[in-house]
Amino acid sequence: MKPLTAIPGVPPLIACFFLLLGWELLARWMGLESLPTAWDTVKSLPAILSDPKALADIASSVRRMAVGFALALCFAIPVGLMMGRSRSVAAFFNPLFMIVYPVPKAALMPIIMLWLGIGEASKTLVIFLGVSLPVVYHTYQGSKAVGEKLLWSGAAMGMNPAQRLLRIVLPAAMPEILVGCRTGLVLALITMVTSEMIVRQAGIGNLLFNSLDLAQYEAVYATIIIVGALGFFLDLIFEKLRTIIVGWADPVHAVAVGSA
Amino acid sequence: MTMNRRVSEFILGAIPILLILGLWEYLTITKIAPPTLLPSPGAVFTRFVMQLGDPTFLSHAGVTLYRLFCGFGLAVIVGVGLGIAGVGSPLVGTLMRPVIRVLAPVPKVALYPAFMLTLGFDHASKIALVFADAMFPILLATYQGALAVDSKLVWSARAMGVSRVKSLFTVVLMAALPSILTGCRIGLIISCIVVFLSEMISSTDGLGHLLVRAARNFQTVDVFVPLIAISALGLILNTAFNMLRTYLLRGFPEEN
Repeated sequence: MKPLTAIPGVPPLIACFFLLLGWELLARWMGLESLPTAWDTVKSLPAILSDPKALADIASSVRRMAVGFALALCFAIPVGLMMGRSRSVAAFFNPLFMIVYPVPKAALMPIIMLWLGIGEASKTLVIFLGVSLPVVYHTYQGSKAVGEKLLWSGAAMGMNPAQRLLRIVLPAAMPEILVGCRTGLVLALITMVTSEMIVRQAGIGNLLFNSLDLAQYEAVYATIIIVGALGFFLDLIFEKLRTIIVGWADPVHAVAVGSA
Repeated sequence: MTMNRRVSEFILGAIPILLILGLWEYLTITKIAPPTLLPSPGAVFTRFVMQLGDPTFLSHAGVTLYRLFCGFGLAVIVGVGLGIAGVGSPLVGTLMRPVIRVLAPVPKVALYPAFMLTLGFDHASKIALVFADAMFPILLATYQGALAVDSKLVWSARAMGVSRVKSLFTVVLMAALPSILTGCRIGLIISCIVVFLSEMISSTDGLGHLLVRAARNFQTVDVFVPLIAISALGLILNTAFNMLRTYLLRGFPEEN
């Protein structure tokens, strides 16, 4: 008989339960008005999730995130692949990316808004910027590590460079690319929430601060739970996707945490 | 030959950066972009250098640095400590893994309002956010690095009479150092970014506050200056940390 904790999905659930329990005890012990108990917060979740305005906010955030993420993949994966296979391309891009790396992408929001206005374009662009770098980096590392012999064999069988890139390098680098995508996905969510918190117009970040300004503390904490759950489930879905696509590769334990 | 290659790669790498600066300069000179929207690169850099001598600016930068290092320091202590404890005691490891699994992908910045409500609007909430964001990469890197340590090393130490707890610090911690330092470097850059963002979201001092204040007053030049300052700070810290890493890892064969 399997122990209960060996069933997938059970340990995280138990962890969630104890986190909530710890919160409940902390809230009772501190007795702050600004720290409602976990139970009160969970009770206010249905109210938020059934409010059409809040749902629209969340949906528009997620849509922006998806668009920014998809655009970043279309840009970053080809660039990363070329960097991995050509020293000149790598030398061309590396210093630029090194300089851009420590720039807080969400902090560009006020400047980008001056140029592109307050519409969807600027929000999507910031997410795009936040996601691109880790995906480029991991794709670069992955395609650089592809064995030369594989490529020689391909060339001997008459594949041209473009075919080799598409048929050999891309699949061989896929596990590493997906590590980058996973980091990128977490970053997309972080960038989205952060930029919305900075600008406070629409979306989840705005929802969070609106409730804060109205002193609806339960709603603040409930929104935090929603954002957290979003992060957790996106990561979970991606992990499932990864096992389907590159189930043949060894699982990579990457330090898949980042910040925008 | 290698020298030539290095020079040509350096030139190649400089091209995109110069192109961007050139385009920026071109846009401002031809007035395609009005100076209120995009100040010239010259104006921004002069302003940046000027600000470096300004005590008010430096005190804002000091506040940012203080929060950065408090949060990062705490994250290193807790992250490395928990990571080593998780390997040293299977019980702690088993308890810790699901909690990390749940908390690691959560965008920590969403916790910021909660920190503000419980810890106040001053240093504490920002330090807490930096800590929460920087801790996970350090913890994960420590845990994975310590798990990968060859158990024969520990057995040898134990056979020579080193106690279980002591072997954690003298053998496991040391052998996992490359991985730990990689985690710390990621954590450091993250701290740098997060402290800035937290100051942008809500603050009355620090570099992030300077950016927001300038943006509200449409002083575009002053918007760029804190951004350059924090990015330069990130680059400098990253370089300094790499030097520290090379120094600390000078005995490790795979690092040379």
